Amino acid sequence: MIGFLKRWRIGAATVVVLLAVLASTAPAAMARTLKATDTAHLYKVSVSGSNLIEQGKATGTLPGKMRAIVNIGATISGTFTISVHGVGTITGHGTATPHGSGRFESFKGSIVVTGGTGRYAHARGETGLYGTFDRESEDYALVIQTTGTLSY
Amino acid sequence: MPRLTFAARLIILAAVLAGTCLVAAADAAPSIRTRAAVNTAQSAGLSASSGGRALDPHMAANTPSASLSAAFEPERLGGRTTLRFGFQITVPGGAVPPALTAVSLSYPESLGIAFSRLGLVTCTVAQLEASGVAGCQENSIMGFGDATAEISLGSDVVGEPVPLTILRAPDEEGHIALLFDAVGTTPLNTTAVFPGALLPASPPYGGQVSIDVPLIPSVPGAPAVSIVRLRATLGPSGVTYFKPLEGRTIVYQPPGLLLPNSCPKGGFPFAAQFTFVDGSHASARTVEACPARASRRR
Repeated sequence: MIGFLKRWRIGAATVVVLLAVLASTAPAAMARTLKATDTAHLYKVSVSGSNLIEQGKATGTLPGKMRAIVNIGATISGTFTISVHGVGTITGHGTATPHGSGRFESFKGSIVVTGGTGRYAHARGETGLYGTFDRESEDYALVIQTTGTLSY
Repeated sequence: MPRLTFAARLIILAAVLAGTCLVAAADAAPSIRTRAAVNTAQSAGLSASSGGRALDPHMAANTPSASLSAAFEPERLGGRTTLRFGFQITVPGGAVPPALTAVSLSYPESLGIAFSRLGLVTCTVAQLEASGVAGCQENSIMGFGDATAEISLGSDVVGEPVPLTILRAPDEEGHIALLFDAVGTTPLNTTAVFPGALLPASPPYGGQVSIDVPLIPSVPGAPAVSIVRLRATLGPSGVTYFKPLEGRTIVYQPPGLLLPNSCPKGGFPFAAQFTFVDGSHASARTVEACPARASRRR
């Protein structure tokens, strides 16, 4: 009986140690990185002064729907949510500066992914942001392209 | 022949000297994008009859102060508008202020300048210097205005009205760029191009129009021209654009700046900072009141 208990304790201790080792390595083992390039074509939902709410279709590595609240002023800044079909959402914010002139105002900057839901609940990343804004468009058309690495 | 007063003789002498020296003075300062020449006869005539104020060098040393005005026309929340703005610079005693070298005009948050559909094409300094506003496409014009420059001629001060045109320029270093083209004819026949840029600003301002004002030489030995007053519009008022449509050219008025759907608490704030050639500064603020509820866009 004593021998059984000893073996049980040793066995239990081994399991605890193994669990501890697994627990320490689990996040690293479960974390995924994704090199993503996506393009979103956005159109006005509403506008107030320099603030736009836009949404549209995103295509590329993370296809889905994108919704963004954007301020187009001396600089361009905003927040966004990408809803990936049946998987989850990715949220973040970004800033850009204009690089272009005339009817098509282009801009360049970066976005920071701060979280999400579903598979992307722990999404993090910083990616490049490029876009154009059609100043003559009645529906305030924005094209946004993001390229970078996402961990989740 | 009528006798000339000492002041008139001094002015004529200065004007003649200026005719030979002013272009050289302008050329000697490559950072000043100014074409300047003196219309000698007009200069002398105007000066002699100007009844200008006498200069007091002690007063001129005083710090300038500034006032600012701004208004939206029309002012309908959620609607399109033209921004009318202006400033005036004074020094105690009514002397001529030192020459202005920079102006920064801060405008309210949420003012939709980018959505104005103004400045659909750009104009460059080189185009303006080569051919004036006529050398630029109409669709680059974003507004108009007029400035008043004061010029010290002898012991007199002569005011010169200077029409302005505001144009869109190619973006510079990540900033939306503007050009202010000023054309003076009498007494100084001068054209100056002031470069400006839309820069970020801290709340309650959404941005600032930063303008570099080149020193405009007046006459040899006299201070540079002082801009003492400016009134301008940024918006569709008086602006005509053209666009091709099905083989024809459509003439239209661009929509204009987009006002937010709600008014900031306390109204739309504006502020301006002025920097002068002698290193002094002045600032001014104003608030455009919220429109009456009845005039809000439905």
